Amino acid sequence: MTLVGVAVGAALALVALLIPWLPDAASEQAGIIDSVYWLVTIICVAIFAMVAGVAVYAVYKFRAPPDDLDDGSPIHGHTGLEIVWTLVPTALVTLIAVYSGVALAKAENLPEDGAHRVVHVTAEQFAWSYEYPDVELENGEPLRTGELVLPVDQAVEFLITSKDVLHSFWVPEWRMKQDAVRGVTTRTVVEPTKVGTFEVICTELCGLGHAIMRSQARVLSPEAFEAWVAEQRRLAAEGGSVQGEALFTAQCASCHILEAAGSQGQVGPNLDEALQGADEEFVRESIVDPGASIAEGYEDVMPDNFGELFTEEQVDGLVEYLLESTGGG
Amino acid sequence: MAVEVHEVEHHPAHAPPPRRGRRRLTGAGWLRTLWTMPLGFGLATLLVIGARAAMGFEPLWELQVLIVAWTIIVPLAFLAGLGGFDYWAYWISGRPSRPEDHSSHGARSWKDYFRVNTDHKVIGIQYLVTTILFFGAAGLMAMFMRAELARPGMQYVDTNTFNGLFSVHASLMIFLFIIPAFAGLGNYVIPLMIGAPDMAFPRLNALSFWLLPIAGLIMMSSYLVPDGGAFAAGWTNYVPLAVQQPDGNLMFQMGVQWAGASSIMTALNFLVTIITMRAPGMSFWRMPLLVWANFATSTLVVLATPFVAGSQFFIMFDRVLHTNFFNPELGGDVIAYQHIFWFYSHPAVYIMMLPGFGIASEVISVFARKPIFGYRLMALSLMAILILGFSVWAHHMFVSGMQPWIRIPMMVTTLVIAVPTGIKVFSWLATLWEGRLRFTTPMLFALGFVTMFVIGGLSGIYLGSVPVDIHASDTYFVVAHIHYVLFGGSLFTIFAGIYYWFPKMTGRMYNEGLGKLHFWLTFVGFNVTFFPMHWVGLQGMPRRVADYAPEFGNWNLIISIASFGLGASTLVFLYNMIVSWRAGVPAPGNPWRALTLEWQVSSPPPVFNFAEIPQVVGSPYEYGVRGARHAVLNGDRAEVEERPRVEA
Repeated sequence: MTLVGVAVGAALALVALLIPWLPDAASEQAGIIDSVYWLVTIICVAIFAMVAGVAVYAVYKFRAPPDDLDDGSPIHGHTGLEIVWTLVPTALVTLIAVYSGVALAKAENLPEDGAHRVVHVTAEQFAWSYEYPDVELENGEPLRTGELVLPVDQAVEFLITSKDVLHSFWVPEWRMKQDAVRGVTTRTVVEPTKVGTFEVICTELCGLGHAIMRSQARVLSPEAFEAWVAEQRRLAAEGGSVQGEALFTAQCASCHILEAAGSQGQVGPNLDEALQGADEEFVRESIVDPGASIAEGYEDVMPDNFGELFTEEQVDGLVEYLLESTGGG
Repeated sequence: MAVEVHEVEHHPAHAPPPRRGRRRLTGAGWLRTLWTMPLGFGLATLLVIGARAAMGFEPLWELQVLIVAWTIIVPLAFLAGLGGFDYWAYWISGRPSRPEDHSSHGARSWKDYFRVNTDHKVIGIQYLVTTILFFGAAGLMAMFMRAELARPGMQYVDTNTFNGLFSVHASLMIFLFIIPAFAGLGNYVIPLMIGAPDMAFPRLNALSFWLLPIAGLIMMSSYLVPDGGAFAAGWTNYVPLAVQQPDGNLMFQMGVQWAGASSIMTALNFLVTIITMRAPGMSFWRMPLLVWANFATSTLVVLATPFVAGSQFFIMFDRVLHTNFFNPELGGDVIAYQHIFWFYSHPAVYIMMLPGFGIASEVISVFARKPIFGYRLMALSLMAILILGFSVWAHHMFVSGMQPWIRIPMMVTTLVIAVPTGIKVFSWLATLWEGRLRFTTPMLFALGFVTMFVIGGLSGIYLGSVPVDIHASDTYFVVAHIHYVLFGGSLFTIFAGIYYWFPKMTGRMYNEGLGKLHFWLTFVGFNVTFFPMHWVGLQGMPRRVADYAPEFGNWNLIISIASFGLGASTLVFLYNMIVSWRAGVPAPGNPWRALTLEWQVSSPPPVFNFAEIPQVVGSPYEYGVRGARHAVLNGDRAEVEERPRVEA
């Protein structure tokens, strides 16, 4: 009996420990959540090992011989045992609940000195956009991007909303997830601890483009982040195809192939082919009203708000850049 | 399909009078539906177009309004044609209503299964066969999904079709298979187990069955709706997506109403039957645990189902009447929908699990040849789950953006449910201890259920803990969890129940070898299909996606291949059922030497179950107790067992 239990438990513990169940932890919150995960895992593996051990042992030990017509021992219950298996699980779930509550408060609290950055996240079918209220451009507008760029080791409070249906903001390496709801501003806190590029994934079914509603989050060193901010300011001031190239990299590259930009996105049509020899009007329409003409073999999933997200100048710059890159015009 | 002919000795002349000529078109039956349904369709169309013309609305032909009218009026016309309302119509209009006529009781040929039949045993079989058909349809949809997901990228279907596939798959499995399959087993077994001749309201029982195929056909025919096809916002049908969806979404909202009405009628019937029709001596503490489980389940159904009906009506109103329940720009609230929906749909998880607990208790006790361990605590833990089940709904909404503080009390209640559930699991294990275990097919499925359900329950602890849920919610981890609960839990017990009562229902034994083959194929296929989903989900694959990141390609290929094997294992089950029903070895009254009352009569039982209402004298689980008895039938149980079986 004990042997079977130990064997089952050991096998399960190996499965639980040897397989990397969670992706790399890249935020303060990930460390906290992972500790809850491992506490729950230890308890659950122990319980399952016990249940499976007893079941396997009983199946082996109490098997009736063929043609046996006897009954088992008429045991109706055992009050002591029943009290034990009521109280022990109660204690275990209390432990999990208390630990989870404390961890939750820790994960969602901002640092005590109050130093943090606010980023507004807006979700829509099928794209994410970000606004940095503390980065003011020359024209007085805050910086807006389609790519999330953050400095490492600084807490970020995301204030999230949606323009249409429900979406959910999730970066697996950060562990934190929060729905975007129309008419409501929801909140989550992340403090990235690793430099790198991560995927922002929509996890709430939002329609035809749900599976492709992904974009990038880049975490930079503080210096690189400052340089990126300065570059964004410069590009916004510059205009023309220089600004267009920057916009393309930030907003379009994750979905479209364009040789000139070295982009590899496969969600939308290959622009080297789709825009070859296209005139300015067609390129402009494809950006501000993408549903007007859909390339064969693709669905109408490109966001239709670039006309609002970009200033007129920016659209001009993007059109100019695309025409230069694909030889149209 | 050959169907066992039930005993007719009590009422030899109760066949309905044969009908000829015009009477065949005006008398209740399928021929009458042939003209009532087109009539209903025409009336509904005229009503909508007439009303829109009178109001000056453009265009006159507005499909989504028509869908609402059709899906209400055509089913009513179908039921009227089939005879679902005949008795009440006679009674209301003052015509003689023939209360002593048992012409709709019992089945003399396969045709009697296609009538409005008031015999709980016929209805039980109608339920099971119908739900298994929908199970097959929903299973096929899962196969299409797994084919698409076998490789990254889009191969066979477009995203709209894919979203429709998983939405209809889940809706059929939940509303047309698991919930009604348990209702079907309960329908057949409960009156027999408590020593009653039938259910309390046989006509209501018949009506509640015929609502089911209506609900299922409405949901399945959503694929035929022009411009957009099937409803594709998931079975949860979250707003605002549900309001934004094409017209097919209405087919979910209306289908759920019919399935929900059916559930509520059956649950009321179970409650009244269990409370008022127990045989003398059958106190609550002598009821078999299956009866206890259905008592708890029916209470849940009656209290909770109106909420899902309401949630879908609100969406329908937002779409068709242009109300603003869920439109934040005009004072509506998006998250309110989720609260209303889950106030039903979390208890629904227990509606889909408690009857399975009951089946597992019956099967494990009989095949371990032991009294169920801790009977009273087993019954009380069912009631505890019933009460706690109403206080946990918002654990589906930890990342929804609702008031953050609600997460903590909901986490606590969610984790506390593990305690009564744990009591049940430990008691089943203790029932095995020092038993004389016999590994028949129902016992294998019951043991498979205990172990697989523990995995589903434990992954529920992960999801109940708010911080872990923030990471895992809406990923494949959740897909793994619900399938361990609903497949490893509910479906395994449905299989256990079908094999266990197959001899009683059909009068024939199933093929044990094929049954065991079915179990092992299912058990292995199930685990290889669903276990890796835990890992894939935690690693970052969201649920409800037609396409996914390439790094998950290999695991998804393995999952898809295993799922095809799992699908194929169902063919072994169907083959066994059909062949054994036609030509299995005739079953004795009590092949399992069980003590509960349904096994003390012939297989299949007489039309009114018991020649004489039994006297219950003790617990139903006294295996191994010398001289103990559950009930006295016709003076002496031995006499009953020797009674000759009436052959077809």
